[in-house]
Amino acid sequence: MTTAVTRTALPLLAALLVAGRATAQQTDPRLERLDAATRPTVAALVDSARTAFLPTEPLVQRALEGATKRASGDLIVAAVRRLAVDLGHARDALGSTASAAELTAGAAALRAGASPTILAQLRETRREALTMPLAVLADLVASGVPVDSAAAAVLALAARVRDAELVEFRRAVERDIALGAPPAAATAAAATAADVRVNAGARQQRPGRP
Amino acid sequence: MRPAAAARHVWTASLTAATSLLAVRASATQTTGTVDLGVSTVRYDGFLPSGAGSLTPALTWRRPGAAVTARGTYLRFESGRRSLQGLIAASLFTPSSVLSHRWRGELSLSAGGSSYADFASFWHATGEARLQFVAPGRGAWIGGTGGRTSYGRAPRPVAVAGIGVWARRSWVTVALSATRSIIGDTAYSDVGSTIHASRGRFDLDGSLAARVSSRGAGHGVYGEASTTVTLGERTALFASGGRYPTDPVSGSVAGRYASAGLRLRTALLRPRASRDPQPLRRSPANGDGGADVTARLDVQPASEGTVRVVVHAPAEATVEVAGDFTDWRPVALRRAGEDVWEGVLRIPSGVHRVNVRIDGGRWTAPAGTAHAEDEFGGEVGIVAVP
Repeated sequence: MTTAVTRTALPLLAALLVAGRATAQQTDPRLERLDAATRPTVAALVDSARTAFLPTEPLVQRALEGATKRASGDLIVAAVRRLAVDLGHARDALGSTASAAELTAGAAALRAGASPTILAQLRETRREALTMPLAVLADLVASGVPVDSAAAAVLALAARVRDAELVEFRRAVERDIALGAPPAAATAAAATAADVRVNAGARQQRPGRP
Repeated sequence: MRPAAAARHVWTASLTAATSLLAVRASATQTTGTVDLGVSTVRYDGFLPSGAGSLTPALTWRRPGAAVTARGTYLRFESGRRSLQGLIAASLFTPSSVLSHRWRGELSLSAGGSSYADFASFWHATGEARLQFVAPGRGAWIGGTGGRTSYGRAPRPVAVAGIGVWARRSWVTVALSATRSIIGDTAYSDVGSTIHASRGRFDLDGSLAARVSSRGAGHGVYGEASTTVTLGERTALFASGGRYPTDPVSGSVAGRYASAGLRLRTALLRPRASRDPQPLRRSPANGDGGADVTARLDVQPASEGTVRVVVHAPAEATVEVAGDFTDWRPVALRRAGEDVWEGVLRIPSGVHRVNVRIDGGRWTAPAGTAHAEDEFGGEVGIVAVP
């Protein structure tokens, strides 16, 4: 029995290794925009991410961003490496089933200052995709809202509101901050408003009777 | 209002056109106005059907935790008689710090009046307090209403007690409620349910209720349904119909109706607050040349997975955007007006990094996005596309 399994598994493993090597050797043509010294290092980082089943597109995009901005090779490599680490941490927090978009948003939230615990709580709280809650969380923190306040608001809303309402919530916070409200207060006020709109929304949207 | 005299049987085919008038910004507030024009079909209980043309202006003022709505309706019936209605309503919600955790308080005030021809008029003024429990995906409330109402004679006291629950799953919200109303010597109970569903361009509402234990306000089962279909950023179609009960508070008479119409909206309903109105900072790694100018980015969902990217900037020749949705290749926007540049791009839902370049200058993070260090010595804008 063991022999039979080995007889089947070994060729399969060999094929996978060959295929993996062939894949690894195929450098994304878009990376041709990097200089010759930087390209192999970035390509290796992308291959490592692929091997670890992390999304590679964000890494390629980060490298292309550096190229467009004429950043030095060292800066580009450092940025790509840092993003790969963040993506790994995001997957640890969000679980292996997280989509590439969720991991990208999660990495941005972590980079903004959110803790892995907050990401894990979001995963437990919301059954739908987490991309938008994570984006809003990162956005709020970048706007100056303390991490704790932003996380509390997003966690409270994520379970029961749709993406569009989260975007509206973010806009309300953005508007009040721009008009001078303290970021934490603006977040709390908008979260309260979003709470009650969940219940009152149906009454407000109905066309009037004649 | 549906005054008794106006309650001449009216069946109407209804077509309503709505015109948004204005969008005014005030400190931390948003004010919007609309005007609806149309014709309606209605048949009040015990009367013949009739058609009516209508004009309905409305004004809404909103800020986080508070909202005020003023609405008026001018109806002109087939007979040539006219009806005027006006209503102003306000809601105020307690901040989350006032009550513990999942509890919220809501105070609502409503005042309105109506008249039909020269011989029937109503007015009312009521206040309602609700205590709301809001949990993930569900909630409940208990509340009471008090006030006065009048129909051409001495005002009558209004007292209403109610309780309700609601639950939300994905894009559907279902609510159940029960109320007991006492208006002077009239008393009745309503037990009913509502459903609201919103998905994509469609909003659906339905209600089914029964009036029981009634003294002077009728009995029976009532139901209404309505749908709104968003056609574009500024237009929507709606249709509604059903049967509703007498409302002794506002003076409306039980009837059946059907309506359909067109609603026009303005794109300026949302304030265009700039998150970073200061001139953009120079970035040593972002290239060379170019003046410091303030650019503001708006992203607006367009059709079939595309997004309209609008940049407001005083550029002379070119405005370009680059982001992870363009493989960081510059995409030139076309001039759409004075200091307005736009393009339609295919951008998937999610979080995106973007920069803007004016007249070949530096890549800068535009206002209207969250700014973050780009790790290349400059800044990048972070924008979420729903």
